Amino acid sequence: MAEVLRLLQLHDGFDNATHVAARAAEALGADGLAVSLATAGERAELMWCSDDSAARFEELQFTLGEGPGPEAVRSGETVLVPDLSRVRHQRWPALGMEAAELEARAVFCFPMGIGAIRVGLLTAVRRIPGPMTDEQLGDAHLLAHALTGRALGDSPRLDDDLSAGSARTLLHAIVHQATGMVSVQLAVSLPQALLRLRAHAYSSGRSLTDISRDVVARRLRLDNNGNGTPVPVADKD
Amino acid sequence: MTREQELTTVFVEVADSLIDDFDLIDFLHRLSVRCVELLDVSACGVLLADEQDVLQVLAASDEHTRLLELFALQHDQGPCVECYQSGQPRINISLGNPDVAQRWPQFTPIARQAGFLSTNAIPLRLRGRVIGALGLFQTKDNTLSDADTTLAQALADMATIAILQQRTLAHSETERGQLQYALTSRIVLEQVKGILAERWQVSTDEAFAAFRTYARSHHHQLSRLARQIADGEFDTDQIPHSRRAHR
Repeated sequence: MAEVLRLLQLHDGFDNATHVAARAAEALGADGLAVSLATAGERAELMWCSDDSAARFEELQFTLGEGPGPEAVRSGETVLVPDLSRVRHQRWPALGMEAAELEARAVFCFPMGIGAIRVGLLTAVRRIPGPMTDEQLGDAHLLAHALTGRALGDSPRLDDDLSAGSARTLLHAIVHQATGMVSVQLAVSLPQALLRLRAHAYSSGRSLTDISRDVVARRLRLDNNGNGTPVPVADKD
Repeated sequence: MTREQELTTVFVEVADSLIDDFDLIDFLHRLSVRCVELLDVSACGVLLADEQDVLQVLAASDEHTRLLELFALQHDQGPCVECYQSGQPRINISLGNPDVAQRWPQFTPIARQAGFLSTNAIPLRLRGRVIGALGLFQTKDNTLSDADTTLAQALADMATIAILQQRTLAHSETERGQLQYALTSRIVLEQVKGILAERWQVSTDEAFAAFRTYARSHHHQLSRLARQIADGEFDTDQIPHSRRAHR
């Protein structure tokens, strides 16, 4: 998995995606891997896949609107189905009818996101039923985390202080608070608010945490052009 | 109340919560407050390691952003990290000791600036591994006894049990899923603090206080209500709050 994460680091965007996805599938002991990015609502768009079996399964469950993937996207939680044939029929009735046609026998879905920000879903499928090992689960979470950063536009050129998905950024309650505030100020979604904050940090040459502190203290207000206006002192409490 | 009576009260309270459908973040906050009272310390925080082995704050005895940030500082240095890595408690570490300041050059001065004289870290243990740490800060010049340390470990174990016991939305059946859900819940809560603070034009700390009071009095779980607010599925005007007259 270290190798896969390095490959992700090396490439901007999702070039070479099929190759990286295939390596990642191998590391997770899966036969197929798919990454979908969340668009409006619960519908997800396939961005990245290792082979057709993963893509077909992904497509099917989002068409039907039910299955482990949609459930993981809705709840923001990991959904593990080590044996699809043993799932209660009532859980995903339509999927149960169709899934027999597919090669996937086990499915593991890992949501990608930061708190209430949902950026997409990582899905691993297997042709033979069976659970993932604890190590594979850990690797899958790491991969989902790295992909979250990439989906939010982290690139190897950004230093760690600016990466939305970097552990250092996530630590700071203040960044999440500022994200919430900016989303209301600019009437944008949470992921967009985070991107605005980061863009401002980048253009002003300061860290995301510093910018966030100023926003939360109301010393700084971002406008829709991506500029920050220092709040006049007289206006402050 | 004698300490024995206090302990009984806490024991009953914890047992009551754990058999019910409880909110993890709220539970850990209450437990942190109890740690402060029972151990006679000034502040307490519960930290959980994420998938990258970095400690994240789940709850603290008071929700002021300043205290949360102090706990967050302990992600790469400080007694909590050492405790997490070694699995051993770190007790009665004097922040005035020059060796301590040298060992943790970023953490120590900020902790001292906040008025703390000493600190302790107790591991959150789970079947032979360590999943996080309980951090304790002291503004007074007193130390934890052996009996205090034993009690602190029992309280840390309660935090671990609660984390594994929480009922998640998708009924996550794995330990890793439970830990992940706890970390995500905390982040959603911070995002919602920001949303409410801006809607009401108050500080994030004030916004959270109004939010928590409302959730408790209406028997809403903090984490679930926070998710609904973040997803735009809850009308936040229902929550009584003060609004600044003008800015």
